[in-house]
Amino acid sequence: MPTDHIMKSYDEELSRLNNIIISMGGLAESQLAAAMQAVVKRDSELAAEVVEQDAQVDQLEREVEGLAVRLLALRQPMARDLREIVAALKISSDIERICDYAANVAKRTIALNQAPPVKPAFALPRMGKLAQVLIKDVLDAYVHRDAEKAMRVWLADEELDELYTSLFRELLTYMMEDARSITAGTHLLFMAKNIERIGDHATNIAETLYFMINGTPLRETRPKRDNSSSSVVLQGITGVVPTTKAPTNRAPTAKVPK
Amino acid sequence: MASGFTIGAHNEPAAARPAALTNKIEINELNFFYKKFHALKNINMRLYDKRVTAFIGPSGCGKSTLLRVMNRIYGLYPGQRATGEVLVDGQNILDPRQDLNLLRARIGMVFQKPTPFPMSIYDNIAFGIGLYEKLPRTELDERVESALRKAALWDEVKDKLKQSGLSLSGGQQQRLCIARGIAVKPEILLLDEPCSALDPISTQKVEELISELKADYCIVIVTHSMQQAARSSDYTAFMYLGDLIEFDQTEVVFTNPTNKRTEDYITGRFG
Repeated sequence: MPTDHIMKSYDEELSRLNNIIISMGGLAESQLAAAMQAVVKRDSELAAEVVEQDAQVDQLEREVEGLAVRLLALRQPMARDLREIVAALKISSDIERICDYAANVAKRTIALNQAPPVKPAFALPRMGKLAQVLIKDVLDAYVHRDAEKAMRVWLADEELDELYTSLFRELLTYMMEDARSITAGTHLLFMAKNIERIGDHATNIAETLYFMINGTPLRETRPKRDNSSSSVVLQGITGVVPTTKAPTNRAPTAKVPK
Repeated sequence: MASGFTIGAHNEPAAARPAALTNKIEINELNFFYKKFHALKNINMRLYDKRVTAFIGPSGCGKSTLLRVMNRIYGLYPGQRATGEVLVDGQNILDPRQDLNLLRARIGMVFQKPTPFPMSIYDNIAFGIGLYEKLPRTELDERVESALRKAALWDEVKDKLKQSGLSLSGGQQQRLCIARGIAVKPEILLLDEPCSALDPISTQKVEELISELKADYCIVIVTHSMQQAARSSDYTAFMYLGDLIEFDQTEVVFTNPTNKRTEDYITGRFG
């Protein structure tokens, strides 16, 4: 966090912005952890708490917006200061989305708990763990202004994509075998998708950090392994439709529609 | 995520860019001394035609000195000397054989404090034109009007052209000086803190004027206002203690400067 402006109050405002982002990040971590715990323990009460606490993050995001606009208007920030503020705006909206996804996982847990436990529910916590690590690492990278660490997060999301694709196929297979599992299976699919999206937002934050620290945007394309949009599961056959034979999906590696 | 940031892109908007950059002023190995004080140290720089270049830097960094070298105003003072080359269209203006009157007709200058002549508003403009050209009255009237219009002053003074230039407000006097500077149709316009004594509205008028004038001139502006440099220039030079620290496109200097001292200065970390 750069300091030492001639105007001390400018430093104070920038560090306040920084601190709000860090609190938001902390909330995202704890919200996702609580949501995952609610899934594992089939704890509807905890899930309801997660849903309720989502409002806190929304409030912090509005604070970031207000403070950033104020800084832009009153300080006319330049160079790194300007990037810090622009980055704070972007990162806060990414964190807010992450929390929305965590809340949605919690909400679906409540629905899921109405039905008997389903086997693939056990693969979901692995995705959750991985997403938590991504959030934690990207926040550490923010706190320490560590572009290299941000880049490691950016690359690590691939693993989450892979887990998601395999869980997707597993769930399809499961639902095909037992029609009574469709309700739970569908909820689980959405929950897995939510967690996969959390990983995407962590990579967004990593890209923003890269720009904030280096001053140049990241131009490379990220490796992606989410093939679920072109996956098919037929009776006894599992696979990914090749590019040319998938008229509805451009390519197996295409960006997942938001 | 799409890389949506364009800040720091090393490009001017295509529409604002004439075909190619041409060097108007080429400064090579320039050193400048006030008696024994070494005020400019080995400056090498290109100033492009039809572009605005801003010089920024803390007080005493040499930016005004550099401007003063470009029309050899320093020659009026004993003990001040320059070594090296300042080529304007390839011709070294530091050459002692350089005709100073011709040079200053090609290179107009506006100073920090308004310096209207103690004569009428009309004559303030007409005087300079009369030194270089003999124009019939109607044509002279047109030149005076057009210069005053370009300097965004016409509407305020058209009914009192016979009044003394000194009767105008500070902001109006400054615009009068700019009008005087452009009336002789120079090729280069040097502006030394032209807006430091102006109110925000007059400042915006002068900045608008700068952006119009750059279609025809090579403009160099010295300013303490970083926002002004950022708003009105295409290229920015950051100077510190007589050295040229960084020279680049304005957008780069203000979003992603290469040198740490530039970054510290523009973000308000030392002054």
